[in-house]
Amino acid sequence: MMRVTLAMKPMGRWSIPIEAESIVPANFLSGTDLSVWRGNRELGIEEAFSVLVEGDADRAEDVEVVLSGETARLKRIGEYMDAGKITVLGDIGMHCGNFMSGGAIEIQGNADGWLGREMAGGMIICRGNAADYCASGYRGGRKGMTGGSVEVFGRAGDFLAENLAGGTVVVHGDAGDMPGAEMRGGTLIIHGDCTRPAANMKDGACYVYGTARWMLPTFRKVGTAQQDGRTLIRFTGDVANRGKGNLFVGNYEYLD
Amino acid sequence: MTELLVKNAHVIDPLSGINGETMDIAILDGKIVEEVSAAADVIDARGMLTMPGGIDSHTHICGTKVNFGRYMSPEDMRAGRTPRRGPMHATSGYSVPTTYGNSYRYSVMGYTTLLEGAMAPLEARHTHEEFTYTPLQDTMANTLFDGNWSIMEAIRDGDVKRVAAIIAWMLTAVKGFAVKLTNPGGTEAWQWGKNVSCIRDPVPYFEVTPAEIIRSVIEANELLHLPHSVHLHCNNLGTPGNYTCTLGSMGLVPDLNPKRQTLYATHVQFHAYGGSGWKDFSSKSEPIANLVNMRPQIVMDMGQVMFGRTTTMTADGPMEFNLYRLHHEKWSNHDVELETGSGIIPVIYRRKNLVNSIMWAIGLELALLTKSPWQCLLTTDNPNGAPFVKYPEIIALLMSRRYRDAEFAKVHPDTGSRVPLPAIDREMDWYEIAVMTRAGQARALGIQDLGKGHLAPGADADVAIYPMRIDEVDPSTEFQKVIDGFSRTEYTIKRGRVVARRGECVVHGSNATIWVRPKVSENYDMGKDADFVEKFDRYYTVRMSNYPVQESYLSRSRCIETETEL
Repeated sequence: MMRVTLAMKPMGRWSIPIEAESIVPANFLSGTDLSVWRGNRELGIEEAFSVLVEGDADRAEDVEVVLSGETARLKRIGEYMDAGKITVLGDIGMHCGNFMSGGAIEIQGNADGWLGREMAGGMIICRGNAADYCASGYRGGRKGMTGGSVEVFGRAGDFLAENLAGGTVVVHGDAGDMPGAEMRGGTLIIHGDCTRPAANMKDGACYVYGTARWMLPTFRKVGTAQQDGRTLIRFTGDVANRGKGNLFVGNYEYLD
Repeated sequence: MTELLVKNAHVIDPLSGINGETMDIAILDGKIVEEVSAAADVIDARGMLTMPGGIDSHTHICGTKVNFGRYMSPEDMRAGRTPRRGPMHATSGYSVPTTYGNSYRYSVMGYTTLLEGAMAPLEARHTHEEFTYTPLQDTMANTLFDGNWSIMEAIRDGDVKRVAAIIAWMLTAVKGFAVKLTNPGGTEAWQWGKNVSCIRDPVPYFEVTPAEIIRSVIEANELLHLPHSVHLHCNNLGTPGNYTCTLGSMGLVPDLNPKRQTLYATHVQFHAYGGSGWKDFSSKSEPIANLVNMRPQIVMDMGQVMFGRTTTMTADGPMEFNLYRLHHEKWSNHDVELETGSGIIPVIYRRKNLVNSIMWAIGLELALLTKSPWQCLLTTDNPNGAPFVKYPEIIALLMSRRYRDAEFAKVHPDTGSRVPLPAIDREMDWYEIAVMTRAGQARALGIQDLGKGHLAPGADADVAIYPMRIDEVDPSTEFQKVIDGFSRTEYTIKRGRVVARRGECVVHGSNATIWVRPKVSENYDMGKDADFVEKFDRYYTVRMSNYPVQESYLSRSRCIETETEL
């Protein structure tokens, strides 16, 4: 096992976020000669972090990266990660786990926007809240997340799991506006409330255990279903998109 | 005074009748000359295939429609990203790259002259602004006249001279190069929610037919002695069974010009479809090619489809609406006041799709069945059939039967019974490829007299030097070498300067925009015509005085003045 502890140095006078797509477990197999970017300046990893390496490993699966310090504006951690583990002790910045295909990321604080965007596999756990576009696609793309799982124990922002095409997304708190917009596969579970779920969905399943406010009129009610010992109201749609998705809600309210 | 000598080049220059001679090319101040002094810079091109700079006679690289393709496909901008390097700007995009992306990629492939296929007159300024940022190629723009109200009214009144006068005024005003008709009449009908199915249907509210528009505009084009012929995108694009409409349109064409064709039929692949629906869809490349073989007054371009992701964009609004109904993807639709319209949708051509496989075959068949390479030019209608970066692959497909067979084995299994491609043995040679990519294009556009498309003394020093010894490469078997060779020049020289070297563009460049000013007499100056002026005042959102594009929009203006019969 190899454990890499990266303690972020205080940002000082810098207000520009750091982009650190190089922080992926596999990259530490060949040492810590990595660089990150602050705006258009390339920094050695030692300039931004206090680095501590314990143990060694031959394969990425055995590498754990632990991030601590002021990581709330550290972007693109775990991009294209395919094995190993990243643990973030505090908050994390935008685009954490982009395109991830394996391994695990655990965030003990909150995550900023685009957590697990276009993820293809692996697991992300966020103990705090996730901001907008969690587990979503990107501008104009046809497919968002295609596999793996994202679990958020707090709340999620707007456009949760937009363009979801596979995998599982679970949010234990409330979600914002438009969760599951343009969904075309996969499973989205929201334990709390949300507004306008599953707009324009084509396929997949979206569960809202709480109340779906501003329920879209383009879903057809087809009865009830049992899920986790609850009775949910079942809809199919989005008929405006010739969609055959399934939307299950605890309660719903149409916009007056 | 800058001098350059390209030594020991293996030259193919069809317009000068040179087919594979080893020779030196001398360049003085941007022009090819007989000889230069001993002080000249020397490039040793020993054995390398050397041709005039490539010309693309139909591509969509600049203008509002292209830019809208960029807006609506942010995902396309995520592909093809390159960082800033030396004099090269950062670029992004695959099927609709940024202007610099287009310019660099074309230059690396040895292209030095580009014709933007469709410019809406009202929005011409945007096209010229983007031309400024396409620094490594000389540019020209086809100007759209397909749904122009004034022209349709003049045709209804049977006044061809008035048609010509309107074209002359418009071309001069918007700094256009040639006349483009896109689904003539149909695009205007679409603004009223309608379409025309072929050339004999009347255009709603205008009492003219597409056939009348095509014929009158061809006559007007020749009255103005324009360098290029009418550039026609036939009616009924992309519909099964549309080949009859294409044959009908080609049948209208008189032979009016001894120097060049009188009709340039563009992306004919999209117009060579048989069948009565998508279920019995088939290739009708044979009757089209046969007709073109009999009619020297027609030149066409392939509009080759290649598999993969791209963006379709055309002034043919109703056709894009049909495509939207097929794919249910993103769609944009645009109305350009009294002139034309447009539509854009992203598409993916798939090998597994029978219709797409047949489309792929038709483009190749058109090229292979047309006897004279001067009559069928190599294009993809970039990016409609495929992005232009696929040209080297298309060249290899035309040159190698074995490569075609290998690719054919990968397409939809039912394709074989719908297309003649597997029965075609022809393999093109280097000379024919040179015709299809530069000499033929220059002649069809009528710009060889401007010094384009050849390497004779006096010509513009636009030269492409490919790292290929053609006496050592057998294109019918070593097609990968052909693809690699045409993908990246050793040197691309434009106006006497090396602009690209082994995949890197080495200077910022400054292009010229070629445009046409037909000289007409006072009586035919539409700027003083009461009816025409009134049309502006009543219907246009801009004043007539604000309409013309100022010459300051052209980074380097190259105006062709023509003597007319008006």
